[in-house]
Amino acid sequence: MKYLPLLWSGIWRKPARTTLIMLQVAVAFALFGVLQGMKSGVDHVVANARADLLVVHSRVSFADSLPLADLQRIKSVPGVKMVGIVDGLRATYQKPNQPVGVVAADLSQAWVTANVLAVSPQALRAFEQTQTGALITSGLARQYGWKAGDRIPLLSATRQADGSGSWVFDVVGTFVDKLDVQGNDFVLIHYSYLDAARQANKSTVARYIVVLSDPKQALTVADDIDRQFANSSNETQTDSFRELAQSQMQAIGNLNFLIRSVIAAVLFASLFSTATMMMQSIRERSPELAVLKTLGFKARDIFVLILAEAMAICFAAAALGLCLAEVAFPFAARTVPGIAMPAAVVEVGLAASLLVALLSVAAAAVRAAKLEVVAALAIR
Amino acid sequence: MSSSKQFSALVRMNIAGIGQQIGPAVTIVIGIASAVGVLSAMLAMSFGAHREAMADVRADRVVLTSVGSQSVNDSSIPREAASAIGDLPGIRRSAKGQPIAVLEAEVIIEARRREGGARIQFPLYGVSSGLTDLRPELHVSSGRMFRPGLHELIASDLCAREYSGFDIGDRRTLRGGDWTVVGHFDEGPTIVCTLYTDAGSVLAAFGRDSYNDATVMLQSPSGFGAFEAVLKANPGLRVRAEREREVVEQNMKGFDRILQFAAYFVGAIMAIGATLGAMNSLYALVDIRRRDIATLRAIGFGSGPILTAVLAESILLAVLGALVGAGLAWIFFNGLSASPFGVSFQLAVTPLVVAVGAGWALLMGLMGGLLPALRTARVPVTAAFRAS
Repeated sequence: MKYLPLLWSGIWRKPARTTLIMLQVAVAFALFGVLQGMKSGVDHVVANARADLLVVHSRVSFADSLPLADLQRIKSVPGVKMVGIVDGLRATYQKPNQPVGVVAADLSQAWVTANVLAVSPQALRAFEQTQTGALITSGLARQYGWKAGDRIPLLSATRQADGSGSWVFDVVGTFVDKLDVQGNDFVLIHYSYLDAARQANKSTVARYIVVLSDPKQALTVADDIDRQFANSSNETQTDSFRELAQSQMQAIGNLNFLIRSVIAAVLFASLFSTATMMMQSIRERSPELAVLKTLGFKARDIFVLILAEAMAICFAAAALGLCLAEVAFPFAARTVPGIAMPAAVVEVGLAASLLVALLSVAAAAVRAAKLEVVAALAIR
Repeated sequence: MSSSKQFSALVRMNIAGIGQQIGPAVTIVIGIASAVGVLSAMLAMSFGAHREAMADVRADRVVLTSVGSQSVNDSSIPREAASAIGDLPGIRRSAKGQPIAVLEAEVIIEARRREGGARIQFPLYGVSSGLTDLRPELHVSSGRMFRPGLHELIASDLCAREYSGFDIGDRRTLRGGDWTVVGHFDEGPTIVCTLYTDAGSVLAAFGRDSYNDATVMLQSPSGFGAFEAVLKANPGLRVRAEREREVVEQNMKGFDRILQFAAYFVGAIMAIGATLGAMNSLYALVDIRRRDIATLRAIGFGSGPILTAVLAESILLAVLGALVGAGLAWIFFNGLSASPFGVSFQLAVTPLVVAVGAGWALLMGLMGGLLPALRTARVPVTAAFRAS
């Protein structure tokens, strides 16, 4: 405890220098936090994606469709607990630059039970009773002020039977999509309504969502489903959500080398900077340190004192930088929707700051500890 | 002694003195080298991708999409419009006298990367006849051209290299039919995998009765305005024209935004750090030289030259750092293949990238040196005679 005032006065001996070095280290760790946060955030999304849900889509691509007739055959595959239908249309609301995604599904209590989405029992009941009913995400409710009871007119390239591209839905409530980590906003409508009303592509779906009885069987069941449709005119491709998340996130995985280089460069620069500054500081303080030694401070005390000083500066700076990273992260992560900065990044960052402090100050601290009292006092 | 002589003498003295206080100087160089290095590497991605995407663009090629469509994907040109488009005035004719107008039906398909197995989506274009007239840069590098109606396709060299399932003779099942890869083609630098087959097969297999878009070659690049006027005079066609360059740039927009944001976001943060580091080091240098500065003042050096000499030193070190940084970026990243977000290209550390880095370094040197330089002006002459 008695060292604390000494430590404090050592840190603030040259306020401008300490402030600058702290800012520099803070900036370095802000960047570390954002970049490492994005990398870990991506890993986190993949690890959290559900392995017990499969997506069946056309082997051609996600943009292609499958016949509705496949539903029964998929249901009959052993290990399949439930199959949901997903289709949709792209629409705009009022202006061409206000796109609204519309997802059509055969929503029922089973979806809620399977934890695919969350919706209140009242809203679900209202949805089931309204043919043109629509559930909306809370984001849409906020953005356009939509609420239950509203009729929302949308414009789409998907035509109705009469050739018109305008679609009107009745908002019956809100829902939360439990699968979509990206937080996309969309309108959920009845598949049966969409299919009856549209002009083309009747009795087709964009994809099926399969809930498994046993997540461990994901691979076998996926293969069984694809085998059902092999060599048909609509071959399927079945993947688990986790697999999809993985391939989606792999798109930025190629940048890992670059991210690592940036982190290395920024940490190296701040390490070197801290090291020179501490060395310079020790040189200037030789007489003061010599006085401490004369007063009875042991070499080890001085060593620990200098070490503690650097660690305090780096730790505080890193904490500041990581706070900045938390603030800047959502801004930077816009390019990769749906990822959050894991807490572990902060822990690793703080630990790394202590390591930077140790490495950068070791030489200076040894020099300070070995100081010859007479020689040091003799320096002018 | 004139100010300029004083200045040059001081700069020489400072440079000669760097050897004695190597720490702060090296700190400045390293800090700025890492900032410029990172900025260069990030910009090299954006520049590299752009260079390859734009390499094949021709000023006389024009893309026609339907009025009201956002992109090629939701554009739709009915089959019946095909001959009307070919008959439009201003379109160049091939050696056989046919108008060079190719209608394209686009289908998105997916394949796995050879490395890592990631699934990537890319377009299969069903094209009407005349592909090689429209794209003279395209030539078959192995195998042969597809024959219409036989469910044959050709894949770009990039596809064959980066994705599995595109070797010659490989079959792909699309909509019930087996489609055979019969050839590979080289179309110059590209960033996305491309497949071609005949339009008739695609329309039949996918049950469609409209193309997505048409690409035509004009008689001359300057004919674009007249061609647009012709389209305006034919509202029944419901198509609009865009230069190929505009379409490619439009497609690159999202990708560019991500890369440039990354480059300037990360670069700016590192530049702030490097500037702070430079400032700190220069303060230290000025402190070390306190007595020297006071002595110089005492023998008649003006504060102006002393101040600018510090600034010059800071900028010199910054530019040195920029060169080191850009050099490292060139060694480690130039020509490196990257394939983020489903596109493939090589990073290019071009002179322009280096120039941008050097420009940033100048700014960092100037900003970092300003306050320490001003401090020299405040060193009292008496400091020369005071002990420490």
